Amino acid sequence: MANIVEIATNTEGFSTLVAAVQAAGLVEALATGGPFTVFAPHDDAFAALPPGTVQTLVDNPPQLARILKYHVVADKLFQADWSISQTLTSLEGSPIPIRAALEVKNASVIAADIEADNGVIHVIDRVLLMG
Amino acid sequence: MPTATSSKTLPPSSHAFADIIHRLEAGGSMLPDTPDNLKQIIGIYKAYAVPMDFYWRGLLYISERVFLNPLPAFKYFISDEYLDRPNAYAGDNADLRIWRGQADAHPELREFMAKGELKRKLPKWMHHLWHDRINMEFAEACMQAMFWHDDINPKFNAYLDSDAYKANADGAIRAYFKGNPAMLGLYKLFPDLFLEQVKRLSYYANLGLFWEVMAPVFFEMSDLYDEGKLTTVPEAMDFLVNGIFAIAGRPIYHHLYVGDECYEIIPKSEGFTWLYEAALPYVEAVFYRTSPFRGTKSYNAQAGQVPSEPKDFHYGILYADLFPVGSAGIPPTLLMQDMLHFLPDYLVEEYQQHTRGADDTLIQLGVTFQRSMYNVTSAVIQALRTALLYPLDDPNPQHLKANRDFFEQQLDRFQRPEARLKDIQQQTYR
Repeated sequence: MANIVEIATNTEGFSTLVAAVQAAGLVEALATGGPFTVFAPHDDAFAALPPGTVQTLVDNPPQLARILKYHVVADKLFQADWSISQTLTSLEGSPIPIRAALEVKNASVIAADIEADNGVIHVIDRVLLMG
Repeated sequence: MPTATSSKTLPPSSHAFADIIHRLEAGGSMLPDTPDNLKQIIGIYKAYAVPMDFYWRGLLYISERVFLNPLPAFKYFISDEYLDRPNAYAGDNADLRIWRGQADAHPELREFMAKGELKRKLPKWMHHLWHDRINMEFAEACMQAMFWHDDINPKFNAYLDSDAYKANADGAIRAYFKGNPAMLGLYKLFPDLFLEQVKRLSYYANLGLFWEVMAPVFFEMSDLYDEGKLTTVPEAMDFLVNGIFAIAGRPIYHHLYVGDECYEIIPKSEGFTWLYEAALPYVEAVFYRTSPFRGTKSYNAQAGQVPSEPKDFHYGILYADLFPVGSAGIPPTLLMQDMLHFLPDYLVEEYQQHTRGADDTLIQLGVTFQRSMYNVTSAVIQALRTALLYPLDDPNPQHLKANRDFFEQQLDRFQRPEARLKDIQQQTYR
């Protein structure tokens, strides 16, 4: 089985996420650490952000890393492991509320339970933001 | 702007401000979309941007250079270096050029600093003593509100209380007072007093970095309006929403310079961001809360005229009675005085045609400022809805209901009698 970074790199639709993870210097942590649950925004999710949003973050790696860490939980959680009204705690420290089935905060899960060596990936249709 | 489907899918809101909620659900602003409102808010954004160009430079100058000067009599005399300091997000050589416009201080600001209201070139100290200058006290009052309401910026404040911050501040204080045994001796006796002052200076940096972004945003909105490219109030709001997202990840940091040496008191690597550690706390502290101001009106706290909890304070511009009270706080008389110097001609003409004309221009422009800040607050509400909730044209009724609950919750804050939301719905409120 491949690790989280290898799966994202070799799967179509994650080029922005992979570039962001590289720019933030999180490749090694996500490739060798864990176990993690990663809510991985699809390329379309990044493209939906207003112009300049991603560029400002990519130019500032610590700030980008913080946003990306909000998409990671330090546990291996399959979709069956969480329930509505539950709140997960992100690696960034802020809570991620689960409001409905097949949803994580305000994002919909478009592909769930992609298992990796060091965790599990759920593909989502929006970039998650703290608050 | 997305086409909203809420009104087709959800029953009408029963909220006291149902009309305004439906307007927000349709992608609008709390401020009605009228040509007069657009003219007023854009004109005042321009008049605000010029002094703001001074405020952000002055705040960074004080946090980075004046620092703990025990006799800061010249702290408002910012150096040429800070007047020429390139805006990080505007100008040809910006690290990341998001907005057009020039990098260094605006020409109207430079002219005012040279000649003031007197229109005469005098030494800087004479303009200062005559109070013919930009009122930095307003900027400091905003900073103080952010510093004082310590529940609204939890991560930033937690860092200010951390050992890492204390160590960084200690290094900076020792470097700043190197060769000054008297101040180093005082520091040894009262370390917490010095540390508290450094924390305050970190808020100078925070607000300076926040306004460094807002000044070119407002200049560009004014330019776009003059070119006929901003034609409605929602367009003006959307420009702000896009700006909030574009710059959300800007680092918030605090550096001290002693000569050419830089001391990182809050390093950029801490990951603090413009949106979370500056913009949102600023809106809460300054637009909504601030504190009871010193002026012609007195408050009796024992009679319950001042809320017992700071979170319930409501002295911001969104609630302000704009009778001028000569205060640096809110209502921001000092800011109103600053904006008076840079009004575009079309606003001067407008004010002359209403109420008492030139005699009460300060009040009229204060009301305009109030309108414009309701529009900025609308942009923040729509940006939060975009970031944390759902699109306005979301097909899922549950999502639209969540959006509505959010809008209603936000507008609940304007149900208290001091709020001016109802007033700004009328063009006659001037």
